[in-house]
Amino acid sequence: MTARHEFLEHTSETVVRLTAPSLSALLAEAGRALGELELRGRSPRERGPWREVALRSPDRAALLVDWLNELLFIAERERWIPTEFAVLEAEEDHVRARVRGVRVAEPPTFVKAATMGGLRLTEVGGALLAEVTLDV
Amino acid sequence: MSEAARGWTARRVDPQLVEIPRSARADMRVPARVFADEQLWQQIQRDRSLEQLVNVATLPGIVEAAYAMPDAHEGYGFPVGGVAAFRADEGVISPGGVGYDINCGVRLLASDLTAGEAQAKLEPLVHDLARTVPAGAGRGGSLAFDEAALDRLLARGPALMAERALATAEDLAFTEAGGRLAAADPAAVSPRAKQRGREQVGTLGSGNHFVEVQVVDRVFDKAAAELYRLFEGQLVVLIHTGSRGLGHQVCTDYVREMDRVMPRYGITLPDRQLACAPFASPEGTRYFAAMCAAANFAWANRQGITHLVRQVFSRRFGDAGRLRVVYDVCHNIAKVEEYAGRRLVVHRKGATRAFGPASPETPAPYREAGQPVFIPGSMGTASYVLAGADAALERSFGSACHGAGRAMSRGAAKRARSGHDVRRDLEEQGILVACPGAAELAEEQPAAYKDVERVVEVVHRAGLARQVARLRPLGVVKG
Repeated sequence: MTARHEFLEHTSETVVRLTAPSLSALLAEAGRALGELELRGRSPRERGPWREVALRSPDRAALLVDWLNELLFIAERERWIPTEFAVLEAEEDHVRARVRGVRVAEPPTFVKAATMGGLRLTEVGGALLAEVTLDV
Repeated sequence: MSEAARGWTARRVDPQLVEIPRSARADMRVPARVFADEQLWQQIQRDRSLEQLVNVATLPGIVEAAYAMPDAHEGYGFPVGGVAAFRADEGVISPGGVGYDINCGVRLLASDLTAGEAQAKLEPLVHDLARTVPAGAGRGGSLAFDEAALDRLLARGPALMAERALATAEDLAFTEAGGRLAAADPAAVSPRAKQRGREQVGTLGSGNHFVEVQVVDRVFDKAAAELYRLFEGQLVVLIHTGSRGLGHQVCTDYVREMDRVMPRYGITLPDRQLACAPFASPEGTRYFAAMCAAANFAWANRQGITHLVRQVFSRRFGDAGRLRVVYDVCHNIAKVEEYAGRRLVVHRKGATRAFGPASPETPAPYREAGQPVFIPGSMGTASYVLAGADAALERSFGSACHGAGRAMSRGAAKRARSGHDVRRDLEEQGILVACPGAAELAEEQPAAYKDVERVVEVVHRAGLARQVARLRPLGVVKG
């Protein structure tokens, strides 16, 4: 199966639903969804360098939230929006990945944070299904 | 979701208040109360607001009830428009109960000009504001802070800016808490949060944040308006923003930390975003110190924007363009307050403090009226100035609503009407709009929000705050 994402209705925030065959694919897809939101329809062309992102979390649901917050932090600091992902290693409590994105003139501000509100990450029929609420 | 599907029935207490009994769910420690008339009650039931409010009612140490204001809608963890108070000795503090945008709030600036006097310069004024007040990173200069200066700012708030001639003593006197929460400890704020905040003093951010040029359209309470020095036809500016990336990072850091330590305190929750720790614990103390620092930062941010707006008014109107701070209120915060001899940690997430005349925290010149409460509408609709009422202390821990409250998702709003159409609608009403894009405009369109007049009416009738004046938008600068 191919990893995919969709945005669900929420009165004030944005909920991302992710489906993927593995945790690696799920994290990469989450990053792509975040990039799509932050680009807000823009299509900048200048790519930044690949960078390595690694982090640890207590469990895989928290890992998904922490991963997105890590990308948000880098995006704001580096004026960059992540678009390409190569997850090198992903286990229940850690991830190591190479990430590349596009440069933007102003720090992206649309997504403030990934939250644990209504967070779920479950296995359904051999696939991973996750929902994460983003504060926008 | 219908009440039948939820398995419990709410009881209407009076025309402005509905109660969900403590028996509605086995894990509730207190009832949940929603300030709403019948129409708003129907709207509030359409999303997960009530489920989230009931979740709040399960938190350790909560007293009296979990409250929702008439502008309530679903958030994450707490509903937006939620108020909950916890015993300072045995209760918890929850970063999710404050939100990511710590001390998001509203500041009203009043000029001595009438809208008629400013009319000819309105368009260049709005464009100048859009150019001068950045949405993202700041532009350095007098609003740049190195590491040591940022620590002092976190500890002291806009008082530090007075030393750089960016604030006056009067500005501070008319800011909630004087613009400084004394429990702030810059050491409790992570280096990452400081890194995010360093270039963000004097910046708007995005979403529903704005600088809006308005006219005082109608005065309801002449005596209170006179105390606030507001008059019909007056040109005013409303600023809505918060603690930007610094506050977001503080919340992220401490939700993570509290999620990790909850088992140590035997706390289990229906939603991880409610992550909390005893207020008196090391983790609770550290979060409160960091939250207070972020709150001070947010006041400094609104002060920085005030400075930039004053520069624009000076360029356009000279000495006649002087702007006075009417008041500055926060609506995402946890504060230690005393009620009937009990020290409580009052969480207001999308709710405004509304202290009445009896409160010593109401600035002396406003003591006869109560503290000003600002309720921004959506683009194109009115905003309101209210006066806090003493009855709010007993009914809602001294709290009122914070806005119209969203009624429609961003996606639904974009499907309902395009940004181009929204811009045309606003221009036809004579409202100038400076907004980064059509998508942002569509998402924030008036139809995406509840009827602010109805929301304010409920607050007024419930005795939480009373209407003083209505403000009509003339020009909007969106973040």
